[in-house]
Amino acid sequence: MSISVFPFAAIIGQEKVKKALLVNVINPKIGGVIIAGEKGTAKSTLVRGLAEVSGSRQVVDLPLNITEDRLVGTIDMEKALTDGRRSFEPGIFQRAHENILYVDEVNLLSDHIVNVLLGTASSGVNKVEREGMSYSHPSQFILVGTMNQEEGLLRSQFLDRFGLYVEVTGSKSLLERKEIIARRLEYEKSPMDFIKSWEMETYYLAQEIQEAMEFLHRVKVSENVMALTAQIVESSNCAGHRAELVIIETARAMAALEKRTNIIIKDIKEAADYALPHRKREPPKETQAPQEAEQDEENQQTQEQQETQEQQETQEEKETQEQQEQQQDNRSKKEESEQPDLPPDDNMENNRHNEETQKNPQNDQTSVDQIDEIGRTFVVRNLNIKPMDRKKRKGEGKRAKTKTDSNKGQYVRNGIPKGKLHDIAFDATIRAAAPFQAYRENHGLSIAIEHTDFREKRREKRTGSTILFIVDASGSMGAKKRMSAVKGAIVSLLNDAYQKRDQVGLIAFRKNEAETVLQITRSVDLAQKCLQSLPTGGRTPLAAGLLKGYEIIKNATKKNPDILPIIVLVSDGRTNVSLQEEDAFEDALKMAKKLKEVGIQSIVVDTENDFIKLGLAQEIAQAMGAKYFKVEELEGDGLADAVREYSI
Amino acid sequence: MNQANRSYPFTAIVGQEQMKKALLLNIINPLLGGVLIRGEKGTAKSTAVRALVELLPQRIQVDGCIFGCDPIDSSSLCSQCKDKLKNNELLPETFGNMKVIDLPISATEDRVVGSLDIEHAIKKGQKRFEPGILAQANRNILYVDEVNLLEDHIVDVLLDSAAMGVNTIEREGVSYSHPSKFILVGTMNPEEGDLRPQFLDRFSMVVDVLGERDKQTRIEVIKNRLEYEKDYKEFSESFEAEQKSLREQILIAQKILKDVTYEESILELTARISIEMNVDGHRADIAMIKTAMTIAALMGRKMVSKEDLLEAAELVLPHRMRKTPFEEGAFNVDRVSKIINEIEVA
Repeated sequence: MSISVFPFAAIIGQEKVKKALLVNVINPKIGGVIIAGEKGTAKSTLVRGLAEVSGSRQVVDLPLNITEDRLVGTIDMEKALTDGRRSFEPGIFQRAHENILYVDEVNLLSDHIVNVLLGTASSGVNKVEREGMSYSHPSQFILVGTMNQEEGLLRSQFLDRFGLYVEVTGSKSLLERKEIIARRLEYEKSPMDFIKSWEMETYYLAQEIQEAMEFLHRVKVSENVMALTAQIVESSNCAGHRAELVIIETARAMAALEKRTNIIIKDIKEAADYALPHRKREPPKETQAPQEAEQDEENQQTQEQQETQEQQETQEEKETQEQQEQQQDNRSKKEESEQPDLPPDDNMENNRHNEETQKNPQNDQTSVDQIDEIGRTFVVRNLNIKPMDRKKRKGEGKRAKTKTDSNKGQYVRNGIPKGKLHDIAFDATIRAAAPFQAYRENHGLSIAIEHTDFREKRREKRTGSTILFIVDASGSMGAKKRMSAVKGAIVSLLNDAYQKRDQVGLIAFRKNEAETVLQITRSVDLAQKCLQSLPTGGRTPLAAGLLKGYEIIKNATKKNPDILPIIVLVSDGRTNVSLQEEDAFEDALKMAKKLKEVGIQSIVVDTENDFIKLGLAQEIAQAMGAKYFKVEELEGDGLADAVREYSI
Repeated sequence: MNQANRSYPFTAIVGQEQMKKALLLNIINPLLGGVLIRGEKGTAKSTAVRALVELLPQRIQVDGCIFGCDPIDSSSLCSQCKDKLKNNELLPETFGNMKVIDLPISATEDRVVGSLDIEHAIKKGQKRFEPGILAQANRNILYVDEVNLLEDHIVDVLLDSAAMGVNTIEREGVSYSHPSKFILVGTMNPEEGDLRPQFLDRFSMVVDVLGERDKQTRIEVIKNRLEYEKDYKEFSESFEAEQKSLREQILIAQKILKDVTYEESILELTARISIEMNVDGHRADIAMIKTAMTIAALMGRKMVSKEDLLEAAELVLPHRMRKTPFEEGAFNVDRVSKIINEIEVA
């Protein structure tokens, strides 16, 4: 069925997106566009409206829950059953040929479908080898995807397939917003009348595009243009050569749109703005706050660095000042005047050997509690957590892809069953049996199905992990805004956990015990709130924290053996409270080893930032068999980096 | 059928005025875009939704069409109805009640979107589409209890249909699409997990319900419930008059809604609120003004007032003010009312 679509010409603003779409229609060699942006910014409306203005091209939808057979095409069941003939029933790829293939929420597409899509998108040919069929047909389409980054990012390999990248935001202009509402309401009142009232504008726009398409072959690409393009791409540190080609093709379309036979610098720059953001690989940067990055945008490289340093310095100054004020506040509340900057466990001797101090309660008085703000957050790198066994798991989530044997998860394709058949794919089974009906004895049934025909559903589903954070909240963490940075890092991990549909829990250890701040829950929201109000202060009972973590995971596994538990220990490895009567650090090591023995996967995030590194957290990590990261190493170089504001 | 008669009368629900209003508004104007009700256990969330059945108005639909197409709205007909129109056949009309269609969280994808009719395929050797829940939901209320526990890939499907009003199926050898415009109503207990921001945004309104704190009201709640359990028939009858008048109010409001207008300044105010409150995208603006118009209709007025807009803002904005997935944007009624009062509506 076709439905009425809001006219492209009636959409206000979003000029960048419109242009990205139009140049693709004018010159399909550009290779499509991905539109990223917040909810409710007319992303889909723009794409669907495109059909009306792009001549004979249609917008073909690729629904997220598509199964493989409908994407690539398969044997025509009806023909096979009635005539006993094998013939090909085309899928979406056929329909998309010379059209626009649109994937809404493209970042949620199942992995298998993405792989198939990538193959065809790059070759321009759909080759089908299945169900006794061998068939191929051309499938050249303009790939258009829309996505909302909140739901997770795309694999960079997939991202690279899209020629252009463009981001949308809502309009901030009062006048524009007003007009947007007014037009939308008018449209909803009577879609048909509204479309009619925009018929002329739509016609003119379509005409303009048609003319640009015809003009395209007259646009010449000079040596200069190529040289400039190569230079821009090189300076932006892009992988591969696709970027150059995309820029040139885009610039051609832009020139054609303005009926120029030559490409001008403006075209190239504009084209680069579209072609580079998602391909740019930035060299590892020093951590800098996002607002600084924005300010530096316009500046020269060297100047940039200088300024950044200055800003960081002033910022630090400000921070220390603030902190001091805060501490003064705290102090005035409590009469104790112990220096929170120098917690007792700040020095190695104290931790490992000086047991007297540990036993002496008088030394436990960094108990001036303070609550730090959540610091800077970032996109977390891929931590590469994989399920340890090949056991099939149930569960919803995206951390680790597993096969599922419960009849849940998305049915993406079918296969020949191994072992006992329990999740039959009827459609595939009938298709498999169809061509043989002419020869088979049917025993009074309409279709004779034999053993060899049976096909099973292959489902895809990702298992979320159960991530338990064990966080050092002792007094030493409060010093020098360390906790603030750590909280920022944990929130970043939580954001990541949300996108991957993980469950989370939170344990904090401080003073003399470990406290379960948050039982394991699906609500990442709640975790963030708990984290926000987590106070620091007191001594460091690391072993107790690990023990508590072990207990919680043990209980959770009892309840649901299918979970994939991961412990994330956030600590610098220092400790001064033991569980038993022995050295606190040895005690912690013992617990760490125990965790390794029971086979709980773990990550240690080292928060040590003192001048002299003791490497205690690393030792703990070794004992736990954990992956080891320093706080600053958690930051990824994914899309968020690549897409950071870019200017030539 | 018996079940429907047994449902608790909507008018007997004590308190929870905002929730009740949100539900009524959605019945009056099915284009509003649904409501999400968040709250603790035992706050009459599901009861209220189920009680709607008794209030749902009649509407015209194509007789014999499984999707219950609207013969007047030619822009969203299913392919069969469209073919009939093309062949110059008349679409037979009949009256039908709006329904509440349940989407159980255990529903499998093929049942939700529809699938290959296996029986037909085996018997006749032909492919045929067997409609699912989304087909039934067309022009009805789609109710998801514990909506936050819905599986991810089912949510994706709902997102698609809710956005376009169309369900597109490309699976299990079936290629089909049909209208699926529904009023999405969800209830959830936030303690059990969050809703994905993208999904949250599809609910035009969000209402947070709390247990009533007032002692007198609580007593009334208990009293009503006990009486209902003692003899639901008698209890329901005792509310019949109120039910009837509410049904009439809905019908009148639906009629008035067609004539409700707003002044230019209201439009400007809507845009201003959205900009100043820093909401994502434009969906909030449109939802806000449509809700305000429906509120006016419910009140029997033909002109949207500033108060209507404020009330609409309270329903439409709070869940749209997040900047990151979990950062709770601070929604402040006072701020909105300040913005509203700053501008003189002529």
